[in-house]
Amino acid sequence: MTDFDTPNPPRRDDLVQRIELMEAMIAEGRRATTRFGWIFVMWGLLYYAAIAWEVYLPAPAFAWPVCILLGIAIIQAWRWRLKRSSLPDDGPRSRSISAVWGSVGGAITLFMAAAAISHHIAQQPAVNAAVLFFLGLAHAASAFILRWPAQAAAAAIWWGGGIAVFFVSASASVVVFLVASFFGMILFGLYAMMLERRRAATLVQNHA
Amino acid sequence: MPEGLPELDPVVHGKLRLALLSLLVGVEEADFTWLRDKTGSTDGNLGAQMLKLEEAGYVAVQKRFSGRKPQTLYRMTPAGRKALATYVASLKRLLNGAL
Repeated sequence: MTDFDTPNPPRRDDLVQRIELMEAMIAEGRRATTRFGWIFVMWGLLYYAAIAWEVYLPAPAFAWPVCILLGIAIIQAWRWRLKRSSLPDDGPRSRSISAVWGSVGGAITLFMAAAAISHHIAQQPAVNAAVLFFLGLAHAASAFILRWPAQAAAAAIWWGGGIAVFFVSASASVVVFLVASFFGMILFGLYAMMLERRRAATLVQNHA
Repeated sequence: MPEGLPELDPVVHGKLRLALLSLLVGVEEADFTWLRDKTGSTDGNLGAQMLKLEEAGYVAVQKRFSGRKPQTLYRMTPAGRKALATYVASLKRLLNGAL
């Protein structure tokens, strides 16, 4: 990227180019969520892994705790690496979103642990519904913070799933959870990652 | 600049400097490496442009160590925010009929 002199008077297309540049850079600085796209994909896949383990592998009681702890460990390792790197992810938006997801993650973990210890985990539709609503809440809060319709759509998917599980059988509620995980986590995460890559490519083109 | 047209701050108007200010406006602080990666500029060019912004009072610089690694952090100052806001207002005025 190089500076160029301002024509006198400045040309309209130069000014439009400046506005586009500002928009791209402001979005790059602020849209912290898109850097987290892989996390959504990872959690979606871990949900699938946990359910598959529960159904097909021995010691199904360990499926969710192990998968959730694995997810938390991966994120903590990533956060630790981030702290040592140069990424400025401490902006107020980034902190707000981290707070929302951290709180919801903590709430889900405590909820699942309490349900498992008290043997209420067997009430699968209600447990599934609660988790679906928790995740919808986190997506909705992020969508409000970022003013991002795609994430609002993800929230709608989770909340829609949460409502649906009350009207279907216990086995079908697992399917609802899997469908919501696919669209509200994996697909949404892939979309976020695609946006992130596209934005990076656009920036490179603009500044070459 | 013809009479009646708003002046564009030349410090802000530089393409790389404008990109840097726009990046900094959305984050509390940013490391030199991150700014270089996001703008695709060279170390030399980025350093020179950051110095101009620093001299204008639009960014504040802080040097520290992250572990053993030296780190240069930039933060937008209130003057920088004001300059960017004024620049945007001037840009809008120019685009909305003045040009």
